[in-house]
Amino acid sequence: MGVLGFGGVLPWARRVIVDERRWLSGRDFAELIGLCQVLPGPNVVNLSVIIGARTHGPIGSLIALAGILFVPVCLMLAIAILYASVASDPLVRNAIAGASASAAGLIFGTGVRLMREARPPVRGLVVGGAAFVAVGILQWPLLPMIAVLIAIGIAAEWHARKWR
Amino acid sequence: MEMTGSPHVLTEIATRFAALSLVAIGGINAILPEIHRVVVDVEGWMTSGEFAELFAVAQLAPGPNAMVVALIGWKVAGIPGALVATIASCGPSSVACYAAWQWVDRLRTSEVRAVVQRALGPLAIGLILASGYTLARGADRSSGALVLTIAAAAALAWTRVNPLWVLLVGAAVGLAGLA
Repeated sequence: MGVLGFGGVLPWARRVIVDERRWLSGRDFAELIGLCQVLPGPNVVNLSVIIGARTHGPIGSLIALAGILFVPVCLMLAIAILYASVASDPLVRNAIAGASASAAGLIFGTGVRLMREARPPVRGLVVGGAAFVAVGILQWPLLPMIAVLIAIGIAAEWHARKWR
Repeated sequence: MEMTGSPHVLTEIATRFAALSLVAIGGINAILPEIHRVVVDVEGWMTSGEFAELFAVAQLAPGPNAMVVALIGWKVAGIPGALVATIASCGPSSVACYAAWQWVDRLRTSEVRAVVQRALGPLAIGLILASGYTLARGADRSSGALVLTIAAAAALAWTRVNPLWVLLVGAAVGLAGLA
């Protein structure tokens, strides 16, 4: 399971879980990913909790969790220490400045791509737009904002469903 | 790094990240603005620019995206901080996930799940865009950096390019002194 940590990204996880180990069928995998996205928390971490639970119950979940977190955390610490030792070098500073500007764009582009693919209805755009303005631009605290927006979002969807 | 391992700081990291863990709809990227608000604006543990840098370093490393919290914890309180941040941000959500899994068969067919899923999708997207904005505010201190951010966003939104290449191109442009 630890090897999954190296992949990290979802396509990799899919290849190992579905194609190589046959822990899940492609359809089950897609369904679980859908579930993991609704649940709070890192998607890949949630996925490993559920796969561990399917095969060995709570112990399986714990082992899967340890497997997916242990190697990446150790690697990250190694990278952090390496980074700390070179961070004051002017060339490294320049490269990191470029990489962090790109990384910010990557996240923004991910959001744009998700929006293009999901094509949310107007009520969804309002809720998503409100979240962006309040949490991103105004930097308001997330917890109260998310409570209010989840309530509004669910009420709007529930209402829309009745009219279908 | 004078506050390394201070119990107060570790407790603060544990409680803040554990609470955020339960609202991280759509993954860690949704709660980055709040982590930024706490560690930069409220606690003053690092600058906005340093926050954006840590995020970039985490993206360059293998492993789940969530590993950025380990790096933030490390920056604030050393290795204990990294471990506490990782456990606090993955623990509560994993327990919730395990509990939800027990109900999965009922959830699979229920109308409630469909409604919740449709409601949370756009919210998660809004929060991811907010993360991009928060990171860009920290990272874009020159017009060159702003151009890089816009180009990277466009590349990811409209092409199938591997994000790692985008990061490496950004680093190369930065190395040339243009960011």
